[in-house]
Amino acid sequence: MVLSVAEKSYLYDSLASKPSIRPDGRLPHQFRPIEIFTNFLPSSDGSSRIIASDGSECIVSIKSKVVDHSIENDLVQVDINVAGERDDSIIVETLSSLMNKVLKSNKGIDTSKLQLTKKYSFKIFIDVLIISSYSYPASLISFSIFSALKATKLPKLVSSFDDLEVEELPMFHDYDLVTLDVNPPLVFVLAIVGDNIFIDPASNETEVANNGLIVTWSNGKVISPIKTLALNDRYINGFNPLLLKNGIKLVEQYGQNIADALENL
Amino acid sequence: MSGVISVVKRHGDFQYSVDSTNIQNDEDEDISMSDVDIADRKLSKDNDNESGLQIVTPGELVTDDPIWMRGHGTYFLDNMTYSSVAGAVSRVNRLLSVIPLKSRYSPETGDHIVGRVAEVGNKRWRVDIGGKQHAILMLGSVNLPGGILRRKSESDELQMRSFLKEGDLLNAEVQSLFQDGSASLHTRSLKYGKLRNGMFCQVPSSLIVRSKNHTHNLPGNITVVLGVNGFIWLRKTSQMDLVRDAPPGGSTGATSSQRSTAGPTGAVSLNPSITRLEEESSWQIYSDENDPTISSNIRKTICRYANVIKALAFCEIGITQERVISAYEASMAYPNVGSLIERETMESIGHDVLNVEKMRGNAN
Amino acid sequence: MSRLEIYSPEGLRLDGRRWNELRRFESSINTHPHASDGSSYLEQGNNKIITLVKGPKEPTSRSQVDTNKALLRISVNITQFSKFERSKSSHRNERRVLEMQTALVRTFEKNVMLNLYPRTLIDIEIHVLQQDGGIMGSLLNGITLALIDAGIAMYDYISGISVGLYDTTPLLDVNSLEETAMSSVTLGVVGKSEKLSLLLVEDKIPLDRMETVLAIGIAGAHRIRDLMDEELRSHAEKRVANASSR
Repeated sequence: MVLSVAEKSYLYDSLASKPSIRPDGRLPHQFRPIEIFTNFLPSSDGSSRIIASDGSECIVSIKSKVVDHSIENDLVQVDINVAGERDDSIIVETLSSLMNKVLKSNKGIDTSKLQLTKKYSFKIFIDVLIISSYSYPASLISFSIFSALKATKLPKLVSSFDDLEVEELPMFHDYDLVTLDVNPPLVFVLAIVGDNIFIDPASNETEVANNGLIVTWSNGKVISPIKTLALNDRYINGFNPLLLKNGIKLVEQYGQNIADALENL
Repeated sequence: MSGVISVVKRHGDFQYSVDSTNIQNDEDEDISMSDVDIADRKLSKDNDNESGLQIVTPGELVTDDPIWMRGHGTYFLDNMTYSSVAGAVSRVNRLLSVIPLKSRYSPETGDHIVGRVAEVGNKRWRVDIGGKQHAILMLGSVNLPGGILRRKSESDELQMRSFLKEGDLLNAEVQSLFQDGSASLHTRSLKYGKLRNGMFCQVPSSLIVRSKNHTHNLPGNITVVLGVNGFIWLRKTSQMDLVRDAPPGGSTGATSSQRSTAGPTGAVSLNPSITRLEEESSWQIYSDENDPTISSNIRKTICRYANVIKALAFCEIGITQERVISAYEASMAYPNVGSLIERETMESIGHDVLNVEKMRGNAN
Repeated sequence: MSRLEIYSPEGLRLDGRRWNELRRFESSINTHPHASDGSSYLEQGNNKIITLVKGPKEPTSRSQVDTNKALLRISVNITQFSKFERSKSSHRNERRVLEMQTALVRTFEKNVMLNLYPRTLIDIEIHVLQQDGGIMGSLLNGITLALIDAGIAMYDYISGISVGLYDTTPLLDVNSLEETAMSSVTLGVVGKSEKLSLLLVEDKIPLDRMETVLAIGIAGAHRIRDLMDEELRSHAEKRVANASSR
């Protein structure tokens, strides 16, 4: 979206003022409302679709496969597809590397939860499809993955856990399913304007942001990766390290609220 | 959740947008049995006739009477007129057309629109007005610094970007239409030109009703430009806005905000135009600088108006000056402007607006 | 059970349908009002398809400008998770998908009144979230609905359906199990007429059976047209009612 000079300076002045005024009147820590649908794809083990109030939309499918974990050590794989973008475009590649980093097995997702027997584990394939997005979609993707994983049910193992002695493939119950019990991290996008910092920037806010931050949150605390993010190509500036601290504090303070909101209800 | 995020959660079924959840599901039960739904359909057709509105879908025969002239949304085959879109049949004099339920803005001569410059070309700007094609604004159709009556020179052509450049917002009038339906704009009036001192928001163009006046001064010292194309500009009320709304004759005493009940025509009265001629002739009209005195109160009020306009659009309520004001008043029940983006709040504001209207209707 | 019985002697198919029965057909329009000018969501059996129509709009590059009519562009995204087994590669630029896109463009170029929208671009984006046979027919239905939702003028509905031939019995609206087990034909039918705007025959089929196959196919397509018409009308009535209450 191209904004006029006057629009940008109006937005910048509003956002940078003290106290700040966001274009839709939100508080610095306030998200735009979202709508979540889960488990609408019977041929996937879990699925979720999030629509944000601006029409941004993300669909996630979770599929699993039984693998020998002594050979295959990456048990989580994220593939991202953005409508209208080539698979090798910059946005797809950066989002893909970010999400793979966030959900890396044993750090983002506890792989012991995926283990079936001494030899075999589930490998989880997370496919992300962005139908439309109007601002940097990292939060949207991570929320969708979070709710899809929370809704994921995998076949129940009926064969024995110890399969090192007797060579056998894992056997599953005909219809009983087990809920996958993982706590995937959440990714937050923050925008810095002047000396203010905001969560979940809308598209017009990203246009005038001096810088952006990606902060990852898991189980009550902020974890890596944390990185800066250029949200536009005109206003980008260095920022006061104090703001990084404020940003982390903001995420620490409200991360749990988001996780609860996505999980419960 | 202390207002951090609001999440609506739905399990299982995927589709169905909010407004249609229940009704749809009921119908789907019936769908596999053909007898039932044919009966249903007949029923619904009868209903159309009762309300006087005929709804047709593509390929449907509208009339076999050759007396009708074929308008938009129809086609003619073997002396029969068929519909080419889904919508309501409109019969005006002898012109038969079908108005689609939804489509992009199609400009008409005289429309007051808000547009965004997409491209600077040879002696013309190409302006995004949310239509099927960009509109054209010719260099000759704008007022240039140095007075209205000045001739355009080559140096003007070379410095077109210093007047209007990509991304700039302006309001203008549709001067004429080209053969292919695209619009030619002009800004040769004091009420048109580059937009400053405020914020942009957009609604579906079908929600804006064409009327005599599309610039309104609102309570709280805000002025809104409701572009017929659904592009909306909210700004701090300027001196010029006040003069425009003042009854002809008294040009300076118009400080208190006046409702449009007096019926401002938007026509420029001669008195103030002398002072404005100077203003116009300066570079001021193409400045990118905002008024430095916009207070945070004004900014908040603009946010509030933007949110209530979005709430009206969310409820698919047609947007007029009266409704914007009424929604603004209803929104005062929510001191936190940020809470106006929640779905329930938007719905309740929509309700309030319609209720107030009903009550007024009864009183009259 | 050694082999799945595609069509039992009692006249029942794998999913319990008879030879001339359609799968469950549900559709809704205007599902993505922010992201597109017209949109539809379609479930035909286990096919789940999102279709977005963007335009008519200003073309993004000069090469797309046709001074006489709109340019129609269709891109089909078959997601990696759309089948029961996740596919390893993304389906983009697969020859099969490119062929589908070309066939769809050809079909709709004739039906949409592109001459009404000179110098514009109509972009159609399709996301197949789940597929279970007869996908091409479902794509036609999804596009028809989304185009109508966008208010783009067209001569008539195009409804799509696949018909298989099991021995001598035609089976209407095949699912993926049936599709792999027998020859099938996909057709796109114009409105309530018997005109075909698309006919895809990719397998061997005895010519003397073709007539019965087409006959049941056309009947099924007419039924689908009615179901789509119904969804449109109920949507239209709701909108009109909404508008008049204002």
